[in-house]
Parts: sequence; C-alpha cells; structure tokens
Amino acid sequence: MATIMKTKSLVVIAFLLALASHAAGQTPQATPPPPAATRSVQFPKPVETTLPNGFRVIVVQRSQMPLVSAQVLIKSGGEVDPAELFGTADMTASLLTRGTTTRSATQIAEAIEALGGSIGSGAGWDFSTVTTSVMSSRIDPAFAILADVIRNSTFKDEEVERLRRQSLNNLRVALGTPGSIARFAAARVVFRDAPYGHPLSGTPESVPRIKREEIVRLHDMYYRPDNAILVIGGDITPKDGFALAQKYFGDWAKPSTPLPNVTVGTPVSESSNRRVLVIDKPDAGQTVVLLARTGISRMHPDYFRGIVANSILSGYSGRLNWEIRVKRGLSYGAGSSFDMRRWSGAFTASVQTNNETGAEVASLTLAEVSGLATRDLSDTELTTRKASLLGGFARGMETIGGLVAQVSSLALYGVNLDEINRYVSNVQSVKAEDVKNFAATHLGADNSSLIIVGDAKKFLPALQKEFPQVEVIPVAELDLNNASLRRQTSRN
Amino acid sequence: MCRSYSLRTLLCAMILLVAIGGVSAQTKLPRINFRERTLANGMRVLSVIDKSSPTVAINVWYHVGSKDDPDQRSGFAHLFEHIMFKSTKNMKDEMMDRLTEDVGGNNNAFTQDDVTVYYEVVPSNYLETLLWAEADRLSGLTVNEASFHSERDVVEEEFRTSVLAPPYGKFFYLLDQKSFNVHPYKRPTIGSIEDLESATLENVQKFHETYYRPDNATLLVVGDFDPKRLDVWVDKYFGSIPKRNLPLPRVQTKEPPRTGEKRFVEYGKNVPLPAVGLTYLTPSEKSDDAAALTMTDIILSRGRSSRLYQALVYQQQIAQSTNANADLREDSGLFELTAILAAGKKPEDAEASLKAEVKKLQDAPVSEAELEKAKNQIITSQLRQRETNLGKAQALGGAAVLRGDPNRVNTDLERLQAVSAADVQRVAKKYLTDENRYVIYYLPESARSSSGSENRSQPGDQMKGARQ
Repeated sequence: MATIMKTKSLVVIAFLLALASHAAGQTPQATPPPPAATRSVQFPKPVETTLPNGFRVIVVQRSQMPLVSAQVLIKSGGEVDPAELFGTADMTASLLTRGTTTRSATQIAEAIEALGGSIGSGAGWDFSTVTTSVMSSRIDPAFAILADVIRNSTFKDEEVERLRRQSLNNLRVALGTPGSIARFAAARVVFRDAPYGHPLSGTPESVPRIKREEIVRLHDMYYRPDNAILVIGGDITPKDGFALAQKYFGDWAKPSTPLPNVTVGTPVSESSNRRVLVIDKPDAGQTVVLLARTGISRMHPDYFRGIVANSILSGYSGRLNWEIRVKRGLSYGAGSSFDMRRWSGAFTASVQTNNETGAEVASLTLAEVSGLATRDLSDTELTTRKASLLGGFARGMETIGGLVAQVSSLALYGVNLDEINRYVSNVQSVKAEDVKNFAATHLGADNSSLIIVGDAKKFLPALQKEFPQVEVIPVAELDLNNASLRRQTSRN
Repeated sequence: MCRSYSLRTLLCAMILLVAIGGVSAQTKLPRINFRERTLANGMRVLSVIDKSSPTVAINVWYHVGSKDDPDQRSGFAHLFEHIMFKSTKNMKDEMMDRLTEDVGGNNNAFTQDDVTVYYEVVPSNYLETLLWAEADRLSGLTVNEASFHSERDVVEEEFRTSVLAPPYGKFFYLLDQKSFNVHPYKRPTIGSIEDLESATLENVQKFHETYYRPDNATLLVVGDFDPKRLDVWVDKYFGSIPKRNLPLPRVQTKEPPRTGEKRFVEYGKNVPLPAVGLTYLTPSEKSDDAAALTMTDIILSRGRSSRLYQALVYQQQIAQSTNANADLREDSGLFELTAILAAGKKPEDAEASLKAEVKKLQDAPVSEAELEKAKNQIITSQLRQRETNLGKAQALGGAAVLRGDPNRVNTDLERLQAVSAADVQRVAKKYLTDENRYVIYYLPESARSSSGSENRSQPGDQMKGARQ
C-alpha cells in the first residue's frame, strides 16, 4: 500500500522562541494561544577511551529503550580507491559481511538475524563503516559477529564475483534514475579528476576491473585498529561498552608499518571550472536540477556560519522550497546541503520539476543561492531558520541510530565530543552579517555549476536564453570516468 | 543457523536454546500506557505521558483515505490533505509551519487507502498552540483558487517524482491497479494527473463537510504534558466543534474472490531491469489470519538470511532485489511477491523461482528457528518505532483507527508471537494459490513485440484488453 506524504524535507526540536501573539481585544479562539515556558534540553555526553592498539572506543548511554547500536568506522573510504579502480573501497566494505574465516555469508546473516538484529557495511567519503543494531539483551553475540567481520573477512572469489554482478546491476538502475545521474555528474563537475570526483560504487567500466588482490590490499592497508573508531550507543553502560571492546578488539594487532598518508587536494574554485551541463534523457519522467560547487571542509573555521547559511536556503520554509514549491508549485520539494568532508566537499542544491519547467527552476535555484550574499536577511528569518536547524539537530538524535551517527561524525573528524552540548550556542552566535559574508565567499554564482538531467527538448531553448554556454551530453554518451563526462567518440 | 561442525557447535546450540527458550523472558516490549476519552461530539482522544524529552507529538487521524476518493477524482483525498495546510478561518496559508518549523518543531501528513494522518512534533510548551491549530482546520477551510491551483501543481509534481521519475514508480502503481477488480483500492492513492486536473474547490469543501468531522477523528497526544491541562485544552478547542448529524459514507464495495490467474505485461519508458510481481488477494488486517500472513512476509524476505534473498539473490542470482509484503488493509489486502531482475535474466525464471518459494511454504512447515528469528526481528523493529514520541503515537493510532482497538498496540505482539509453523503453512495453502494469483511483468518499451495484444496502459488508464 502506498503512503503518500505531503513531505517537508527537514525535521526538528528546539527551545528558544516565543510566538508573538496578536493584540488583546480579539476573541481568544481567533488567535493561537502563546506557548508556555520553555523547557531546557540536555544532550547525552559521550565517554571515551583508547585501547593500547590505538582503537578509539566511545560509549554514549541512553537506556530508555533496550536497544544498542554499535558502529566501527575505518577512517578511509572512497578517496583511497586506486586510480581507475573506482569502487574498490565500497566493494571491500561490502564484502566484510560476506564471509569470514569461520562463517559464510549466509551464516553471518543467519547469526545476526536470529538475534533479531541487523548488520550492514559500506564505504563513504573519508570512512567505511560496519554497523550493527540489536536488542540490548543480545549485545554480546552481536559484538562477536561485528568483530569477526571486521577482523577476519576472507574475500572469497565467489563472493567477490557475486558482489561485482550485484554492483553492476545496481549501477544499471542508478544510471536509469535521473537523480542519481545528476549526482554522479555533479561530483565530476565539482571535483573533476580529484579522488572525490568518481562515483563511490564505481562505474560500469571500473567495477569489472577490480581484482580480489586490490580489495585485499586495501583491506590490509586501512583496516587496522589505529585507523578505526568504535561508537556504541543505547542501553549499555560505558563500563560494559569498554569491556566488550576490550574483549573483541583488544587483541586486534596494530601493524608495525606507519599509517598510509592520503591527501586528496582541494579542488580549485576557478570560474573557468563553472559549467552549465545538460544530460539529455528523453525518457525522463521529470527533470532534475542540481546546483553544485565547492563547499568547505568539516574543520573549516566557518563551519557554523555554513550550516546556518544553508538553513536559510534549505528546509520546508527555506528560500529554495518557498520560492519553487510554495509560491510557484513547481516542485514537490527543493533543498540544499553542504557535504563537509576531511577536505572540501561540495555544496549542492537540488530540485525535481516537470520537464517543461526545467529552465525556470534552474534560474530560480541559481538566483536564490547566489542571492543569499546580498538580499536582506531579517532577524525574524534568521531566528526562525536557526530554530528549524536546531530542531533538526536534536530530533536527529532522538533515536539511538541517529545518536550514534552524530557521535561518529564528530569522532571521524576529530571534533571534540563536547561539541554536542555547545551546538546550540554556536548556532545562536552566528549573525546575519556572518551569513551574508559567508555566502559572498562560498556561494557566489560565478563558481556555481548547474547540472540538469531530463528531456532536454522540453527545456533547452529556454535554458539557452539565460545560459548560452550550456553543454549538452546525450545520456548514452555520458562517461563518469573522467571530468569531461563525455565518452570519447571513435574517429570515423 | 549453525552449520559448521566444530567447537563452535556447542556455542551455537547454546545461543539457539537461549533464543528459543528465552525471547519473551529476555526482552519485553514496553507497554504503551494510554488514556482514552470520547467527547460528546464523538471525537476520540488518546494520550500517553512520556517525559523523557521535552517534546510532544500530536496526531490527528481522520478515518478517510484514498478508497473514499469521489468518482473520477482519484488522488483527491491526498490532494485534500495538502489543502489542509492552506488557509482556515483563523490561519493563513502555511500557518502550520509558522507554529511548528519556526519554533523548532516539524509537521507533516500522509494519506493511505484507509486513513489520513496529520502530525507535528513540537517543544512541549507549544502543545496548547497546536491543539488550537488542529481544531481550527478541523472546523473548516477557506482556501482560495490561487492556493488551490498552486498546491494541485505541487501534487502533480509529487506524482511525477514518485511515479514517473523513478524506474519502478510505475511498476508499484500498476500492482495496485491490476490487483483489484472492483474495490476502490484499485485506484492508487496518488491518483492520476487527469483526475487531479478535474478537481475543484467545491469538491474540497464538500469533502471537508463529509469526512472532516469530530466523530471521524482521533486525536493522539504523546510526550511531555500535564493530563489535566490537556483535558482543559481539548474541551476548549475541540469540544465546541459541533457534532455532524449527516450520515458518514463508508465504502461498501467488497472485492470478490478471484476466479483464476490473470497475467499482465506492462511496459515503461525507463526500465533498466525488468520487474516481476505476483499478488494474492487476502482478507483485512483485522482477520484472524493477519498475524500468520505478517509472519510469512517476514520469514520470506526480512534480512539476508530470509528465504527469498537466499534463493533469488544469493543462490540463483536471478534478482537484483526481491521482497514479500503482506499489505493488509482495512477492507481486504494483498500479499505481494516482487523481484527486480538481475541483468540477462528472464521474467519467466523469476516467476518460477517465486512460485517455487510459495510451494515450499505450502509443502512443509517453516522451521522453529525461522519463527523465532521472525519474532525477534519484530520485537526489534517495534522497539525502534517506539523510541520516539511520534513513533508511539503512530503505533497507537494504527491500532485504534485501523484495527478498531487502541489496546492492540500492546496485544498485537502476542498475536504475532502465537503464530505457529502450522499457521504459516495453513495460510500459504489457503491464500497463495494458483487461482488467487495475478502476475505482472514490467518490461522496457524496447522489449515490446511488434505483434499482438500487449497493454499500452499509462498510469490512470482503465485496464484495456488484458490477456488471460
């Protein structure tokens, strides 16, 4: 059965606003009653230790529900894929749960699922993870499985080939999905041939080339206790959490070799890199418009200015959705985000619209993003958008899974874990001027590219009026293996 | 669970014993302790106090859904849901966002076949404000033409986003359309662009009068609040809404039993890999067989050790993904088996594999280990749902409105845990039969043969000339 939503994009909790009420004299029922006194909120405090082998262990206890979630992060992901072998890190991570020295793929699944739990693994940018989630009464056997898949994976040929086929099938579906095509292309536009530029799961050309030896080599190089973090959240005390870590990871040997040094390089933001790219997909049921450009890294000193700036643009009542959906009915939703990574990630604004209105939405998106630097930003707008942002932050941690994800993200980037409880004040201290200055530096039109995937004949003429430099690539000629994005045609 | 014979066998046996013997003893699902009132105007109020976070989740469940869409107005209940966020007597357009998002809360709504649910989660000091707001839109809408047209455009974009853009949007749309012959469940909730374009403001007002009335509404409040104040506010804002004396229309149509297999071949513009669906007509979620059908769904496809994943994805490598879904609704339901094929595989082969799994369920009881696993999986997922106030509210709302008894939020788990291997075998034999099966192949346009009588259906069309 379908559940169809009105869906707004972002979600929320917060503490600080009083709603202005109307003047006295109107009947009470005609105006909303004002709120009662604000209640304060406490966020959980993580506790941590590091084992002698360099394995960092963090426990954040919350015992309302008898659930535990445990995640091991390896601090390396798609950015360490060998050249031309895009997808190696993701395949390596995916293979962890597909066979160890004592359990086959099926046995791993049976073991964790018999407990009512789940285990999943995969690579991201800057990290690879294995996550298990289970009732707290079952945490010990779940931990045994978690440690087994991280430490004892065998990468059998049969499983490598099985995963390869599945990965190619998944790519086939993704490359038939306008949103995925747009995101893959946007990464190439922003990062070009730098390591963040390729699709995380590889391409139809790269996946067949990945040999088992490459997977084993990547695993040997990066999967080591001094390149790993364990985060445990939920119904478990720090003492018990540390004891489990010691029991299952204490004897995980640290290699004598130094950690590999990886640098990704900062993509250069030159206006010459700016592209307006159309990928023509005549069978697309809708057009996807992406604005993409270099963003900032997670450790950038303007982190909070960045997320507040984004909150002005994104969210149900943010400027993008307001102008495109609420005022004009052109989309089911428009939003934006900074993907802040170890090195600069990308800023992306994204909208899906009817093919016929692709050009209009592209213009509106660019205007709103680049207008943040100059348009008036009132106290009311700033305050309400901050409330939305703070609410989303707190709501994201209402579940144990969300709590673990938040702590993992801080730990991965070496951010002090106390920041959870300073988040509110850090957001509140950002002023309107800060937002506009940030936008002027980081969200200008000159360096913002547009990537549009859809039935081009329906929007191209209108688009060319505003962007005469537009490039068009038919989807059959799309090549995600290089920055040009165009398959090199044979000479006839 | 443990196939390798080694020192580990003993450990495995112990774990298995613990699992079989100790599940209910080890982890209990915390009870949801709710209080119930019914106002003089017929509105039901359910509340649950939980002070673990300074927030409150408010839900209003209206017992109307897409099965109640007026004639030639498929998608209307959902369009109407969008319009409920526009102006009312005392609120201008988008005021709900001002009262929630702007103060650190959020709001949303969803429409299903049988019910429409509006919800918000706000800091608990805003409870009274949101009760006032929900009462206001229950009382009436004042939306104008411009807002109506704009929001209808949004809904049409939603149609494109969920049905036309994703490769399998149309496949799932067709499963509903083809699976019901008579009952309005055959009209997908999202409707069709054509029917949406025919909708008018008069339809909106009529729909509100007909279905948005206190005796067709259940208010749920879960979180940090004082029960005495809640009662005062509920009486003040909702108590004054008059009882409606008109009869409340209900769908009376019954979907007749199926009389033989039907087969459909459908095509899409953008189908990267073919898909296959098998659907079986089932009774409603209130049926005594509902629990066994739910357990069958879980044993078949939850997790990678599940039967469908192991057979179709892992062993045979015939499917990129596969799923079983016991989609039991208020009037009747469907048991669906679906697969998206791996490259180079034929729909006939996936169909054969799915049918083979059905036959296995019918020929032999499932194992105790599989039942125990399913029970543990259910407990874990229900624990996860109940982590949040909103999750608790939705669990309670479903029990109260769709299954007619709020206490089922606490007793449904027992029904599931009481399902035996014999029950699973029985419902497989009773419902997953050849005569009760409809088969849908979803193929790319390029696979269309030049001859003959294949369908050229578009979403929203009536079925034309289906092959038997």
